Amino acid sequence: MDPTRISLRPFKLSDAGDFFSWAKDERVTHYLRWNPIPSREEALKHIKEVAIPHPWRRSICSDDHSIGYVSIRPESGSERHLARIGYALGSEYWNQGIMTVAIKMAISSVFKELDYVVRVEALVEEENKGSQRVLEKVGFQKEGFLRKYAFNKGKIRDMSIYSFLSGDKIL
Amino acid sequence: MEELPIKPQDNQTQDQDFSNINLRLLDLSDIDDYMVWAADDKVTQFCSWESHTSKEVAMKYMVDFIIPHPWFRAICIDDRPIGAISVTQKCGSDSRRAEIGYVLGSKYWGKGIATRAVKMVAAEIFFDWPHLERLEGLVDVDNIGSQKVLEKAGFQREGVFRKYFIQKGRARDAVVFSLLSTDPQAKLLV
Repeated sequence: MDPTRISLRPFKLSDAGDFFSWAKDERVTHYLRWNPIPSREEALKHIKEVAIPHPWRRSICSDDHSIGYVSIRPESGSERHLARIGYALGSEYWNQGIMTVAIKMAISSVFKELDYVVRVEALVEEENKGSQRVLEKVGFQKEGFLRKYAFNKGKIRDMSIYSFLSGDKIL
Repeated sequence: MEELPIKPQDNQTQDQDFSNINLRLLDLSDIDDYMVWAADDKVTQFCSWESHTSKEVAMKYMVDFIIPHPWFRAICIDDRPIGAISVTQKCGSDSRRAEIGYVLGSKYWGKGIATRAVKMVAAEIFFDWPHLERLEGLVDVDNIGSQKVLEKAGFQREGVFRKYFIQKGRARDAVVFSLLSTDPQAKLLV
């Protein structure tokens, strides 16, 4: 699929079906903080309660159909210059450069839309090589390897940390 | 024979034993000792907070922040506070991680006191908080003295976070250090 056909937009309730088709896949949600969506009803609930109220979450769309998402969440209060990025893509769209395009679009939008954000950081597990490659292709810089940094899905995990600053160049 | 000028001795610190420091809670009766470092710009240069401009400001900070803090100790010599050290747990799902912070009166710099205090806290905190897995320190890239404290205390340097914190209006890079509950230094008792 031609990565230039990708667009980002906020989630709509009508995305529930498309969202369910990729979010029910454990391979897609494996490294995320949330679990595979078990039903279309849960998909609709997730869009209504999580995706739409989120400070900055965008559906990655192909011909206006949701095939994944990118989320950028600023910290609260005096730390709001810091933001964390998260993302996922339906597995049939992997390895085609789509996520790289989507994150480049997200990064260039977020610094304009949330002008108080100075630093976007990504935490990636060591074994998640695909995700690390995406960040490197966008122009994120790897800053270090953090031991036992994050607790997710019942386990404490080592994380590599990457960052993209408002002054950095998108590759 | 011409007499050589003698360097003035700092009589107050000359006879003190710096290997015998203790940690204890701070309270309002310590306010004068507290002001010695908390009102000193040289000391607060790399701190997230501004030097206290008056005793009233300092007392309010003590009541609002220090006294209710889950883990805050005065670093003392002969039971007199000369600095402070604290550990702040992260929220929610990050509660297995905590951040250490410390500050010392400038007269006491360069004597290994902060390193000793950090080592004492490292051993104690993993005992007090059994769920804690990672103790981290984030130090301004320009604060070499403080980076040395954590290195000597056995923390591992993991990298530099770019523009990680806003300090006195500027975005600063921070060197990140960690000590895990499973690291040997976490079990050493001074």
